[in-house]
Amino acid sequence: MRMFSVAHKTVFVVDHCPYMAESSRQQVECDVLTKSRAQGVIPLAPVSKSLWTCAVECSMEYCRILYDIYPRDKLINYIVSDSEFHILNSWMREDQSTHELMSALAAVGPPNHREDPESCSVVHGLSAAVESLSKITELQHEQRTALMDTAERVANRGRIICLTNAKSDTHVRMLEDCIQETILEQNKLAAGSDRLMAIQQCELVLVHIYPQGDDMLVSDRPKKEISPLLTSEVHSVRAGRHLATKLNILVQQHFDLASTTITNIPMKPTLNVCEQEEQHANTSANYDVELLHHRDAHLEFFKSGEFTTRENGLKETITLKWCTPRTNNIELHYCTGAYRISPTDVNSRPSSCLTNFLLNGRSVLLEQPRKSGSKVISHMLSSHGGEIFLHVLNSNRSILEDPPSISEGCGGRVTDYRIADFGEFMRENRLTPVSESSHHPSGRLPVERAKAQIDRHTRYWPMIISQTTIFNMQAVVPLANLIIKEALTEEDVLTCQKTVYNLVDMERKNDPLPISTAGSRGKGPKRDEQYRIMWNELETFVKTLAVATDRHQRVLDCIIACRSKPPEEEERKKRGRKREDREDRTEKNGNKEVEDKSWQDSERLKVLLDKEDQESEVIKDSPDSPEPLNKKPRLTTEEVQPPERAKGPVSLLTMWTNRITTANSRKHQEFVGRASSVNNKFELYQNLKDENGMDVHENGKTTR
Amino acid sequence: MPTVVVMDVSLSMTRPVCLDGSEEFQRKNLAVHGLNMLFEHMASNYRLEFTALMAFSSLWELLVPFTRDYNALQEALSTLEDYDKTCVESALQGVSNVVQQEWGSACPCQVVLVTDGSLGIGKGSLRHSLQTLKHRGDDKKFPLPFPFPTKMFIMCVANAEELQTTDAMDNLEELLFLSGGDGQILTVDGPLCMKSVQAMFGRLIDVAYSPFHAVLHCGNLSSDVQVFPRPEAVVVDDEVDPIPRTVNTDLKIVGFMEIGDISSPPVISRHLVLPIAVNKDVDDVGGGATEELEEEPSASQAAGKSPNICVLLHGSLRVEGMVALVELGLEWYGMLHSQADSKKKSNMMMSLFEPGPDPLPWLGKITHLGPISEAAENPYGEDDSKSPFPVTPQVKRSYAQNVTVWIKASGLQTDVQKILRNARKLPDKTQTFYKELNRLRKAALAFGFWELLKGVADLLERECTMLPDSAHPDAAFQLSHAAQQLKRASAGDPQYAGFDHNIVPIPTDFSS
Repeated sequence: MRMFSVAHKTVFVVDHCPYMAESSRQQVECDVLTKSRAQGVIPLAPVSKSLWTCAVECSMEYCRILYDIYPRDKLINYIVSDSEFHILNSWMREDQSTHELMSALAAVGPPNHREDPESCSVVHGLSAAVESLSKITELQHEQRTALMDTAERVANRGRIICLTNAKSDTHVRMLEDCIQETILEQNKLAAGSDRLMAIQQCELVLVHIYPQGDDMLVSDRPKKEISPLLTSEVHSVRAGRHLATKLNILVQQHFDLASTTITNIPMKPTLNVCEQEEQHANTSANYDVELLHHRDAHLEFFKSGEFTTRENGLKETITLKWCTPRTNNIELHYCTGAYRISPTDVNSRPSSCLTNFLLNGRSVLLEQPRKSGSKVISHMLSSHGGEIFLHVLNSNRSILEDPPSISEGCGGRVTDYRIADFGEFMRENRLTPVSESSHHPSGRLPVERAKAQIDRHTRYWPMIISQTTIFNMQAVVPLANLIIKEALTEEDVLTCQKTVYNLVDMERKNDPLPISTAGSRGKGPKRDEQYRIMWNELETFVKTLAVATDRHQRVLDCIIACRSKPPEEEERKKRGRKREDREDRTEKNGNKEVEDKSWQDSERLKVLLDKEDQESEVIKDSPDSPEPLNKKPRLTTEEVQPPERAKGPVSLLTMWTNRITTANSRKHQEFVGRASSVNNKFELYQNLKDENGMDVHENGKTTR
Repeated sequence: MPTVVVMDVSLSMTRPVCLDGSEEFQRKNLAVHGLNMLFEHMASNYRLEFTALMAFSSLWELLVPFTRDYNALQEALSTLEDYDKTCVESALQGVSNVVQQEWGSACPCQVVLVTDGSLGIGKGSLRHSLQTLKHRGDDKKFPLPFPFPTKMFIMCVANAEELQTTDAMDNLEELLFLSGGDGQILTVDGPLCMKSVQAMFGRLIDVAYSPFHAVLHCGNLSSDVQVFPRPEAVVVDDEVDPIPRTVNTDLKIVGFMEIGDISSPPVISRHLVLPIAVNKDVDDVGGGATEELEEEPSASQAAGKSPNICVLLHGSLRVEGMVALVELGLEWYGMLHSQADSKKKSNMMMSLFEPGPDPLPWLGKITHLGPISEAAENPYGEDDSKSPFPVTPQVKRSYAQNVTVWIKASGLQTDVQKILRNARKLPDKTQTFYKELNRLRKAALAFGFWELLKGVADLLERECTMLPDSAHPDAAFQLSHAAQQLKRASAGDPQYAGFDHNIVPIPTDFSS
């Protein structure tokens, strides 16, 4: 169905003239006496509905089915006509509900006997209907706006369903002429308006309602073309049951619906629903429920011509067998369509049992009854968010059968993928609905933000275990989880820095690293080499994200500052970063001290220092022997040590750094800067300052 | 998308083609040559396609049922025999049967009809079939359009000028139109020879059988992939948006979801996503194809050993029971998921949703799905016990909101009985009694069914008189109060007949 077929707009015009108050003469016995109470009670006289009541309740049933199956953009405008027209709702989406209409109808009430029959006519309503059809709907407006220069592709078609009691065929022709004229007039008006659209096609469905037992004054007539703009059809129907059936057929024809009957539904799963109906509680018979839905759910059947067409052009209902669900196993079925349903008999007990069962979250597979052969599951009923859908499952041979296994293709032979880590990544990148009214400061749509997050999370993401060290280390987890965030808090930065110091400690303790030895002979790289690899990787990882914010950059700076590097490299880095480092220092130092305290076990200290000694022996000859990791910490301790602490017992850090310094100073010539420093500070690039007479910009950051 | 090759083996196909100074060929030889080329191409570049071979003259015969064994197809081509006259209609009927038997009527199919443009004479000729199109009974319908979506390629071993001297071209065009219009008529450019027929089949390969290559992106991780079968262009609404939408060659993952949340969504097609190693050095020229084949073993071995995001993604999707939402184009999405053919073999599948902003009502608009990190608290809960899906619509459907329908008398009777049942259990059931009473009242007012209100009021009054002595005194008060209120409403008194007005229990004090 096209977006703007005649089905987009339906106007109901219901006759509210005094003659509609006439009884339908179909009586309803509403006082059903139970046997035990029958004695001596005179039952209430049966009630009968008026033509008006019949028209209203059948039109509401039409709307109910329509709104169930097309909750959006198949719109109804309800007009009541007596001495004037009353428009009960608008094309607005918010006005589209049976509750709204019922409320408006209650305000209208039944036709007024006292009104002058001469002044009353359905014509008022019909002219109003044409005017209404030329009014633009929200969807038409949206599409016209979206299409811009091809806005003329948005068509304006509609249908008028008129429920009335006509006098004669001549009367019907008069009504048709009246509509035809109004359309022409309205189209002239529309030409000069923004909010009106010319009517390109109008379908009039006139339903003549007459009381049971009366003669049929108006004859049925199939659809005929009155003009290129207007087609008309006439249905002459007795009020009551027949009218209901007629409108049920019409809603199916108008909105491409078809019917499925679910058979063999056991009573058992719905006992809780049915308990209220005590008299039936013991019945265990299986029952049937008829559902309406878009006819595409039966596409397979139509094509194979497996069933018959009725006279009215509708197909017979398709019977499908209930298969009691065994498990609540979540499975991804190959589903080729999902269509909303509406039960034909919505408040019958079997219907409500079935719908409640589904609304409670269970799905039911449906089986095609076949005379022979194996059982074929062709459909599934399932509810999503309080709406029930009939899913069409593929029951044919798949054209993708026997595909090559993924393990046979590219990357299929690799065995150490980080499957679990990627699973974690996927869970962090799950989606959630974001209210359409909320606006993000970036102005980007939520889905764009989701993509940006995936992008951020994958800046550095080694796919296999043997390609990474840091992601195999528990110790890195806090930093790895935080650094991928779009923005970091001060606390996050602190945690990241703690993680880095922790790594420094590990290195100091010479803890083993989970470096893969796969592919290399022997034991793999030496411990210090391992740490070098680890630091390199960590630096690479954080570097990919550091551009985001200053805080990210600070984490990177911290890593660069703390990691051990060959002296010349370290020197080069330091030049660029010294200033930012200083900002970090205060916090860093605070942390350090906490850790240091716990370290004051002299035994452990001794062991460690001894170890360090041995280690440094080994390192000595290595070409990329690490720069002492303590160059920074030494500066820090000396600089920011609070005065009262300075007098206290010497901290481990101080002891250690002093020791290392002495050891190292033997290995190299002191830098000119340090040697001639004042208060351990030496101003770099003094020459530049002299030339420019201003502060130097480093790394794109001003020192201000 | 399976292919049926329908080969004309009528006598006219044996017409000789004059080639200068070389041996004599028949049109059939040229056609076979072209088909061999097609099959060779498919064997190396499109090998997952199921293809069937059918030969026809006045009768038709399925020579090779649907298979991926291209040797079998080529072999069958080499043993073609010559028969009588061309009868396209019966052949198409055969195609219809063969395809539906194998794939049902929902699976799109490609039909490659190979003929020489001489479309038979007299009864059974295409001209005759088309002329009688409108005068047929239901039992003798023309097989087109097929019940399944069709792409029809008509390969004429003849050049356009030759076809235009008769009405052959017009007839073929009508045939294509009847099939649904999706497809092409291909003719030989210039004189008939091996080369020109090759060129014609080359055009077919380009249009219908060139593998669809794309790049799958998961943020900064990406891989070259082949998507099989080729995703077809889709027209959503030919009036509002007649331009067919095509799948981008960059497929971007936007996020992930649980299988339970995506909940067996309807899809318009499914495709395998196969990671491929693109050899950047070799240009994709037709002649290079054979070379690539030879290199393949070593190249594919190397490719197997280098990590690929598709394999990682597939593994994790499978382990976690999740799917990845993937962006296919403007307002067009699909999902990647693991699809197990058997216990051992499993592969990555891409299912395409209907193009549009909200293909699955229970997810809401896809563009309004955002990262969970933005939510104040994790919508999945700390222990994954919750889910933000499904999205519930604002208005409940009729079956979820206890609507009142009295079209069948039983509906009305049940509602009245419910009220009476509760009336007899007053004051215990006061709440339910008034709830049911108000429900009936609302419906009766909306339907203009005042007579019913009076009737029920009478019934309540009768119940009141029939109360047993043991009844609680409150019962009588409530019943007469309710009856009175209904009567006032039935008189149309605006004070009492308001739709949103509810009858409330009369306050009584029998607490002692």
